[in-house]
Amino acid sequence: MPRLAAYGGAAVVAVAAAGILGVAVHAAFAQPQPAAADPGALVAARRLTETQYRHTIADVFGPDVKVEGRFEPERREGGLLAIGTAQLSITSAGFEQCYRLADTIAAQVTASERRARLADCRPVSDQNRDDACARQIIARVGEPLFRRPLTEAEIAPRVRTAALGAERSGDFYAGVAMALKSLLVAPEFLFRMERAERDPAAAGAYRLDGFTKAARLSYLLWDTAPDAELRRAAAAGELHTPKGLQKQLKRLAASPRLQDGGRAFFTDMLQLDHFDGLTKDSKAYPKFSQALADSAREQTLRTTVDLLFSQKRDYRELFTTNSTFINRHLAAVYRVPFNASGDWAAYTFPPEAERSGILTEVTFLSLFAHPAASSPTRRGVKLHEIFMCEPTPDPPADVDFSKVQALENGTVRTRLLAHMENEGCAACHRVSDPVGLALEHFDGLGQKRTLENGQPIDVAAEVNGSKFSGAQGLGRHLHAQQKIPACLVRNVYGYGVGRAPDERDEDYLADQTAAFAKDGYRVPALMTRIAASPEFFKVKLPAKARPATKVATSPSGDLGGVQ
Amino acid sequence: MSLRFHRRSLLRGVLGGGAVTLGIPALDIFLDGHGQAWADGAKLPVRFGTYFWGLGLTDTPAGGTRWVPKTIGAGYEITPELEALRPVKDKVSVLSGFRVIGDGRPNIVHWTGHASILSGVAPAMNNRMDAASFDTRIADAIGGGTRFKVLDASASGKVVSYSTRTGSAFATPETTPLDLYTRLFGPGFQDPNSPNWTPDPSIMLQQSVLSAVGDQRQALMAGVGRSDQVKLDQYFTAVREMENQLALGLERPEKCESCVVPKPPGAAVRGASVDVVNANTKTMARLLAMALACNQSKVFNFVHTPGASETYMAGASKIYHQITHDEPTDAALGYQVETSRLAGQVMQGLGAFLTELDAIKEGDGTLLDRSLVMAFSDTGYAKIHAIENIPIFLAGGAGGRHKAGQHVVGKGDAVTRASLTAQQLAGVPAGEFGQGAMRTSRPITELMA
Repeated sequence: MPRLAAYGGAAVVAVAAAGILGVAVHAAFAQPQPAAADPGALVAARRLTETQYRHTIADVFGPDVKVEGRFEPERREGGLLAIGTAQLSITSAGFEQCYRLADTIAAQVTASERRARLADCRPVSDQNRDDACARQIIARVGEPLFRRPLTEAEIAPRVRTAALGAERSGDFYAGVAMALKSLLVAPEFLFRMERAERDPAAAGAYRLDGFTKAARLSYLLWDTAPDAELRRAAAAGELHTPKGLQKQLKRLAASPRLQDGGRAFFTDMLQLDHFDGLTKDSKAYPKFSQALADSAREQTLRTTVDLLFSQKRDYRELFTTNSTFINRHLAAVYRVPFNASGDWAAYTFPPEAERSGILTEVTFLSLFAHPAASSPTRRGVKLHEIFMCEPTPDPPADVDFSKVQALENGTVRTRLLAHMENEGCAACHRVSDPVGLALEHFDGLGQKRTLENGQPIDVAAEVNGSKFSGAQGLGRHLHAQQKIPACLVRNVYGYGVGRAPDERDEDYLADQTAAFAKDGYRVPALMTRIAASPEFFKVKLPAKARPATKVATSPSGDLGGVQ
Repeated sequence: MSLRFHRRSLLRGVLGGGAVTLGIPALDIFLDGHGQAWADGAKLPVRFGTYFWGLGLTDTPAGGTRWVPKTIGAGYEITPELEALRPVKDKVSVLSGFRVIGDGRPNIVHWTGHASILSGVAPAMNNRMDAASFDTRIADAIGGGTRFKVLDASASGKVVSYSTRTGSAFATPETTPLDLYTRLFGPGFQDPNSPNWTPDPSIMLQQSVLSAVGDQRQALMAGVGRSDQVKLDQYFTAVREMENQLALGLERPEKCESCVVPKPPGAAVRGASVDVVNANTKTMARLLAMALACNQSKVFNFVHTPGASETYMAGASKIYHQITHDEPTDAALGYQVETSRLAGQVMQGLGAFLTELDAIKEGDGTLLDRSLVMAFSDTGYAKIHAIENIPIFLAGGAGGRHKAGQHVVGKGDAVTRASLTAQQLAGVPAGEFGQGAMRTSRPITELMA
């Protein structure tokens, strides 16, 4: 089977043999190998994110399987965790967590009430090994986990593990649990391995292989591993043809699971991971609790997904809408009654609440503030970074702070004005602070206020000659900023391909932005347009591996990456 | 039978050649079964830990400081910000006057300082180091033979560790006392002093689970690019450590005279105010200390507060970081009063931490006497993001190797001298450390017995 050979490569065969032959492997490696089929190049190994992990487990084993464990922290690069996944590995503490998680999942899915889902086969006896049935389970479960069919070299040792487990425990399914655990801690599951192969249509060029394309589509649109139909299309080579690709895209975009993809994207872009380490001072903000933090996060996702994916509204309305969803915890912070019988209810803020879109929800206001105070600078910096793709440079190290005086009285505006008189600070604070000051009617938790230290808070702002006042003025101002939809396009593309766009992508991004505008700024359509474009599958081959690292070097000596 | 030499160990030995990427410390084989002593019965290897806190200590613009002792050598006097170290003063060396030499690279605020101390080179960009942090070298050298090659903990609730093998993937710390307790003394823990020890029969099966994973290594590494190779190396190192952990579970643990299995801590107060962080620090220090005494690990990394620390006095509206920049120098006193007060509070964390290590008796001394803790920060004088005069402490006797209780003045030497000294005191056969202008082969010999 050519697919197996392509993934396995000569080394696997040799190693598998070596397992039996012991030191004879030395001789095996001394023999020059015939020129094997091109193994392709691994273009990226991206660590699976927490939600991708959870969605995949739910898809493969059922949504009732509990995934209870801690995940290693992710890393933001170019504004997105999705880009950072290419930098991440799994540390020892992280692997311990994966291992423990795998243990609990394997135990649940082999429990008597769930084991029938694993495969069509039943063991000859529940007390004995049954290699044929074990093999069927491993291959069937392994395929969605690894996002491609398993090779024989991946199946065989796990069949042995299952057999050993069954023999030792006198329980076929205890053995299967061991084999499944081994799949769940494998690098091919925990990392998304993106591979390129020679492009038959263009001599010397590479293209992403079908399974890699399937995974990119599926993770962008559904935040999970490819389903059976997508894997089938990948195996059949259909994703290499425009017609086959369109057919799958249409199917993926029409599914309600597109909302999972949207949720995952906005969780990343809006930096909701900051909730993980968020603390507030209990004296300043007694209403803050973990339950409130979780509620705020959910509110922002509900508002966003409902507006952009259910209602398919204009992206820019995210800054002006006064419709949202609240629960009891949030109602207390927003100081509104909560009369609904369920946990969540739709809610529309009246104009006097001064709320305007997601920047005025507890999420943005509390995440980008201090433990016991608001922070116009942080809010301004994050607004530019998240929504305009304009990161603020690191502050200069040697600023003379001597003119900046502490002010215990008055409002934060006075203190920041002092910053702006200082040339070393002004360049950035002039950009970040005005938009942040417009949000000052909301404290560090997001509660409305009009006074600070007994003095009225001035929320007037001026940015590039445009004057506005308060959060609602800011919302209208942002609605008109061209760079905001352009930034979203950049983020969707970077998120999908897992790479920060560079100058070579500028024309493409400009075209996509124009199409986004022409379409009335509809986000689902933007996502499918990007996924349909050839740039979405562009191959960027990695730098060749350093020869100094000794990884069972192949005899030909040139399997370490493709230039 | 040594379980560390199973089939694949041999196979890798043959195939892999250099052990560099395999993560097995060569020194492992020179230890006795449990790493309790060198195989020839010589003295115990030391334990090593890093302790990090954010925002340095306070200098006075006129030229003095609130922390550097006036006298050099042994018997230094306690300065205001070192007050918390008084109970363990004779076991702590104070290193002042060491700096980062950037080789033209910018001072990335709240990053360049500790990234340089740990990796030996000023970093090119924020949140990334250009080389592995040196604690990993120490862990490779002395961390074998225990359940955990290295432990990471963070006391402020933030998921922060500065320990890295790749420069971009950092260790995952335990962030609450309860999580730390569970990892150390929860499932998988074997009481070394328990009279009825039996090997866990499931371990052999667990080994089989990992064996299937490890066997894929070669296939995966073929066709892999440079950066992915580094990442996958890290992954397989983690797998290897898990294998070692399982193998240890099959051996009867050696009795540890000082090991008393602690009770689980109560649920932590979630917060970042300095009193909460210090309380967490004390509880986590007690757990880490017992983990060392119970031979669960020999190496740890502890973060009290991250760089640009957001800790604060409970109830105050301003965070420490903001205060260091905003607070004017008091005209009469000549220093930032509130900043210095917070610095003193933050140092109470270190004092409590070391005191916990010193509270455990081991042999004729204490656990601290057999440990080396290197404590340091991201800046010197935080108001100006100074990367000169970054406060560094070497605490503990390092099993008799450290002539502790001294004040050493670096006179502008690179911080890497301190890092190299720590490695040598911890028992790493390292001859040099650092890159470019910070490359050094000169440890601080005054501190070495």
